[in-house]
Amino acid sequence: MIQVQDVVRNYHAGETVVRALKGVSLEIADGEFISIAGPSGSGKTTLLNLIGCIDALDGGEITIDGTRVSQMDKRAKTEFRRHNLGFIFQTYNLIPVLTAYENVSFVLSILSLPEKEIEERTMRILREVGLEGMEHRRPDRLSGGQQQRIAIARALVKNPKIVLADEPTANLDSKTGEEILKLMKQMNEKYHTTFIFSTHDTMVMEYARRLVSLHDGQIESDERR
Amino acid sequence: MKFLMLLAVKNLSRYRRRTLITATVIGVGLMLFLMIDSLLVGIDRESVRNLKQYETASLKVMHTEYWEDRILMPLDVSVPQPYDRVTELHDAGYRATPRTRFSADLILYSEDFGEDGNIPVQVTAIDTALDSTVFDLEQTLMTGRYPEMGSNEMVIGSWMAEDINAEVGYWVTLVTRGNGGFFEAMDMKIVGIVNCPNPNVNRSLLLVPIDTISDYLAMEGLATEIAIALPDSADISHEKELIGTLMAASGAPLTVLSWDEMASDYIAMIEAETGSSSVILFLVFLIAAVGISNTMIMAINERVRELGMMRALGMSDRQIHLLFILESAGIGLLGSLVGTAAGILANLYLVHYGIDFGFLMREMDLGYRIQSIFRGTWHVRGILTTFTMGILLSVIVSWFPTRRATKQDIPSCLRHQ
Repeated sequence: MIQVQDVVRNYHAGETVVRALKGVSLEIADGEFISIAGPSGSGKTTLLNLIGCIDALDGGEITIDGTRVSQMDKRAKTEFRRHNLGFIFQTYNLIPVLTAYENVSFVLSILSLPEKEIEERTMRILREVGLEGMEHRRPDRLSGGQQQRIAIARALVKNPKIVLADEPTANLDSKTGEEILKLMKQMNEKYHTTFIFSTHDTMVMEYARRLVSLHDGQIESDERR
Repeated sequence: MKFLMLLAVKNLSRYRRRTLITATVIGVGLMLFLMIDSLLVGIDRESVRNLKQYETASLKVMHTEYWEDRILMPLDVSVPQPYDRVTELHDAGYRATPRTRFSADLILYSEDFGEDGNIPVQVTAIDTALDSTVFDLEQTLMTGRYPEMGSNEMVIGSWMAEDINAEVGYWVTLVTRGNGGFFEAMDMKIVGIVNCPNPNVNRSLLLVPIDTISDYLAMEGLATEIAIALPDSADISHEKELIGTLMAASGAPLTVLSWDEMASDYIAMIEAETGSSSVILFLVFLIAAVGISNTMIMAINERVRELGMMRALGMSDRQIHLLFILESAGIGLLGSLVGTAAGILANLYLVHYGIDFGFLMREMDLGYRIQSIFRGTWHVRGILTTFTMGILLSVIVSWFPTRRATKQDIPSCLRHQ
């Protein structure tokens, strides 16, 4: 369970203070497939970053499974992310010098798992995202859709509680984007991992079981389907 | 750790050209340092050898008051019964010889030299048989022969001979004050010219028989010093102590000086040289540091988003630091390998052929006791230190740009274009 309570986040651009989130409150249950929607500058990426423990809030509190993550120091947040969170980025953010296999397995390497377990889990997740046989290819020899599949595999391979995806289909054509969404949904159903993704694409919103719309740093609507 | 090493290696090969350029900069710097270090150490070792073999010997026994007044070269503060002392030293297993040093005016005549003239000189009176057991001068005779005991014969240094146009068979007169202050003039025939590896000797050497001088200068068997040769492996300070005890038993007021105490001008120069060597080392490392630092800054700037992603996925700052340290250590290792290999190759030339500085040494006194060819040496400690420093330096200078990268907040890293 994720509890976002009255969260405030301000950014400073010189003399100007940009109020990115103005007291957002939200509860997300385990295993939800939820979309944070809204136009550019509405605060969706900021909200994702705060839930993902990669940004610090200015007010309010965020609790994940009873742990007040917003109170944690830098080291504790790193530790928390390492074990509990997966990330999918708009631009995939794969390491260009590593193969598909290595891009996925490094997440397990930093958890210091045994070599054999790393290999089994990596190969299993690559198979599940449809990249079997491509594990030795480097990102530059894969299509955008295939690269995003690696990113999904990388996010899921450690069995995280939550996967945060910031505009995961923004760099893909609509057909590939739909395939990626189907894959994410499949994984959500199979592993009961909570998926939170931001988007401003209506096609993507269709896939969400819950749609939270943000506008100007505040929740405009929260619709369950 | 295995993953970090894999990533570091892959990143180094990903930016192959940059890695090679930086490693080359480090390599060239280290190679230059190794060459300079080899030359300086080689010159020092050869200079010390030439000092001991042709100038100072390893140790000298003198009257306790002699060293303080050495510039005046006094004859009245000498070693009494020098041959007794030499015998005692021989009995104790040392190679020793008496010498008397004095200053004089060297008078040149127009019949031999083309014009009349005189120059101030320092003369060394030797026991021609014993002297060769301590000094290697006789082996460096380029023409003529060594003087015979009891004769009015003289050996002269090659550069001095050149300067005054002296040849074997020419006559000169030495004018000096004897023991007691009386003036004495001695006609001497040049019978040999010495050309030895020590330029100081070539520049100023005048050797005459000690018994002849003893008669002329009323030394009554005294000598101003006893020179002692020790093997290269000998512990000089220990031997100095032993000989000091041996000499004290004679009851004469004698002291023992080691070669480095006598060659204090040379030691001072070597210390200054060590200082300049450190400056060169610093400059070489500064160039390498700028190169590595620049490479790491570029590498980090290009990979800010990648770093943001790795940190978001739970990689700790320590692991990020380690990754860049491994990368820079890789560059340092490559540079050190290149630099050390090139330095060793260049040193092969320096050790076997050396660099001929004869033209310089002939014209000016640089303080080194080497006549012409400056050779390098195999300074293993220097090679190992340079190799290690190349890697260490790379690691140290990469720390700061990496630290800056981990200070940036993750969302900014992920937004980085």
